[in-house]
Amino acid sequence: MAAPCRHVGHHIKRNGRFLRINLDQLFASRGFRWTSALQQQGAEVHKESKEPIVIPRKKSWSSEAVLEALASTVHRDPTAYPYQFQDDPYLSPRTSTEFKLFSLSQESGRAAAKYFVNNNPKFFTKDFAEPHIPCLMPESVALRLEEVSEEALKERITLRKVSAAVEMYDQLLQAGTSVSMETTQELLDLICLYCDKNPVQEGAPEVADAEEAGEETKRRKPKGRRAADHLRTIWKENNNAERIFNVLPEKDSRCYSALIRGMVKHGAYSKAFSLYTDLLNNRLSADVHTFNALISAVPDVRDKFNERWDLITELLKQMNEQKVRPNLLTFNSVLKALRRCGFLAKTYAPQTLNEMKALGIAPSLATYDHILAVFYKLGSSGPNNTDIIQDMLTELEGTSFTCQDPHDVFFFSSAIRICLDSKDLELGYKVHSLVEVGDNWRLLGDSYQQSVYYGRFFSLLCMMEHIDVVLKWYSRIIPSLYYPNPQGMRDLLQALDTDGRLDLLPTIWKDIKTLGHDNKVDLVEELLSLMAREEHSPEVQESFAACALDVKSVFDGRSNMEWSTSSLSHVTTLLLRANKLQQAWDMLLLFKAKNKVPSEVLLNNFLSVCQSSGAPKRAVELVQLAAAFCLPATPVLAKTALAEFQLTDEQRSILSEFEASPEKETE
Amino acid sequence: MAASLSSSGCARLMTALARSSVLYNSFESRSLHVTAVCCKNQAARIRIGKGDKPLTYEQAHHPHQIAHRKGWLSQHTSNLKGVEGAAERTVEDVFIRRFMFGTFHGCLANEVVIKRRGNMLVVCALMLQKLPPQKFYFLIGYSESLLSHFYKCPVKLDIQTLQDKAVYKYL
Repeated sequence: MAAPCRHVGHHIKRNGRFLRINLDQLFASRGFRWTSALQQQGAEVHKESKEPIVIPRKKSWSSEAVLEALASTVHRDPTAYPYQFQDDPYLSPRTSTEFKLFSLSQESGRAAAKYFVNNNPKFFTKDFAEPHIPCLMPESVALRLEEVSEEALKERITLRKVSAAVEMYDQLLQAGTSVSMETTQELLDLICLYCDKNPVQEGAPEVADAEEAGEETKRRKPKGRRAADHLRTIWKENNNAERIFNVLPEKDSRCYSALIRGMVKHGAYSKAFSLYTDLLNNRLSADVHTFNALISAVPDVRDKFNERWDLITELLKQMNEQKVRPNLLTFNSVLKALRRCGFLAKTYAPQTLNEMKALGIAPSLATYDHILAVFYKLGSSGPNNTDIIQDMLTELEGTSFTCQDPHDVFFFSSAIRICLDSKDLELGYKVHSLVEVGDNWRLLGDSYQQSVYYGRFFSLLCMMEHIDVVLKWYSRIIPSLYYPNPQGMRDLLQALDTDGRLDLLPTIWKDIKTLGHDNKVDLVEELLSLMAREEHSPEVQESFAACALDVKSVFDGRSNMEWSTSSLSHVTTLLLRANKLQQAWDMLLLFKAKNKVPSEVLLNNFLSVCQSSGAPKRAVELVQLAAAFCLPATPVLAKTALAEFQLTDEQRSILSEFEASPEKETE
Repeated sequence: MAASLSSSGCARLMTALARSSVLYNSFESRSLHVTAVCCKNQAARIRIGKGDKPLTYEQAHHPHQIAHRKGWLSQHTSNLKGVEGAAERTVEDVFIRRFMFGTFHGCLANEVVIKRRGNMLVVCALMLQKLPPQKFYFLIGYSESLLSHFYKCPVKLDIQTLQDKAVYKYL
């Protein structure tokens, strides 16, 4: 096929001139044949073109403009698991425990690899990468310099070896060499940051100290929320930092600053303030970080609200005198301290905000969070004035935030808690739209905070929204963003009940099993009671019966789940409604096995189903079972059975025995 | 052609031996027997056996089927004209295959496929579901990090799991 084209091209090249001349003549001849109308149109076009042509200014696109445009067409895939996991059903986490387990095991694998790399650096030093990638080179973890010198001290400080650094410093002082001021300051910073302990690395921490510290914190804070609280360090009396500090010939403000901030960080608040008074007596000035630390320590050194506020104002005045300019963290610590000042907060928080505005410092999410905490008390569900949060959200609409304060991550969960308490759905949607702006999802915090936020958001939806919208959100955020806890599933069940969509209960049961909540007995019992409460259409009843059998297999499979009377009777009722007589009979035998007594209603139900499906033998067995339980309803049952069923003589004789009063039975 | 080469080789060998006087001085003459070489291909070919050996698709097809019925196990651009580094890539591949075989011991269901995209190394492997998922993730994190530090480029693992090896036929 290629050959003919070549020929044609060749032909055109050779005869091109002829062809072109012919074509021109053709066009020329056609031109003369144009009608007058066309000619007039031609004239108009010519006139219009007399207007100035505005050439738009050339737009300059960034080099990633095409990629960004393509990326904007793709939204988050709600069916995908988080990207850090492998894309395989066996390796995807289904519950929140699995999520944590898998991500932690992946991290520990990485830590193991780093350990190997850092301990055998000679295999990893060959550098292929161009340009050089520093983070892929082995880090020096071992000390190289052993002699007593300032360089060795600096090396220990950079490698964060606290105790080795202190030792080296003492050796240097004993040897008589003077250490430069800068190195001393860095050493003090190091000791104060880590509270005189070596930072916890891959190896085990110093066990004895940790236990001791853990005991003390346990006594101080019996209601510690998480394990992290127990690892909090305590500033010991006369530790290395204080010792070195006291020995220093000249203490400058940076040394004071290190000590004060270390003391505040590790809980020695009153000492921090006494050291601050020392600083003032020596006529030095503190820097903004020291003031921030002192302000955040105020609620721990004074008990009364007005005393606290007075101390804060005094510190701020001194800050002004020392010509130290406050920053965002200063105001955030003021507001955080105000949270613990009770009724004073409502007066002074707006004043703090005005000061911020006067200084031109833009508030961060932590500021807003403190204000919400001041004006909206925890757990109050009365008619709250939602004006403040409404104004706040309207102002923040469409803004994207970066993290400027560690406390920023608590804003979204507090905001959604307020919406939940005041049962305001519109407000909740506003908060969520703020989360979806740009990169704000990063400010939802760690996985625990995220689960708190989504849990509250989902409960708000279940409470207030129509079931179709709830189910839409359900498919969007579960399980890709949030693994609901049993309370969340209960809210969903209530929402289904309110809107009469109980036919969806079997699918919800499947989700409960996937999430690993099928071992929560009260949740399963609630599900069963919702299913068994009313009669539904036959297909729905069939699905309910299948679901009930599934629940039964789950109960049988787990040894720690106990049947209760109500759950047994619900399952039996569901099976009876779907006319599954054999399985219902097995359930009654299970009653006997677990020593639970079936109710009269249930037995009557059973009898009527026996009658409709024509199983007289079953009816006799049922009456025998009722007699075995010594139920008072036995004679009634026997009478009904005799009356309504076609029975053989043998069966009649058995039943007539039971027709007698129960006292005779027990004899 | 093979036969003639060997006979000329044999002749040269005999003359070389003859030049050393060892041969003629010994009582027995020792000679070298060379048979005709059978030019048989035996690379990556599993021969027909009793019929009880399960083979995957990869193993069942011979190397001449590459680009017809099989793909490539290692994909990189160093074999193009003017691109250097083919030998280094091959050595890296060998190391990576042994590393994966050893780290995920007993779990590999098929050969490891190595793809190079940009400066990234993507190691794709099919695994059997022998280990619980958290152990898989530990090994995945460990391999990715160690290989990245070793080769100074981002290394990603793409793992898919199977219940059993996918048998194509029995030979």
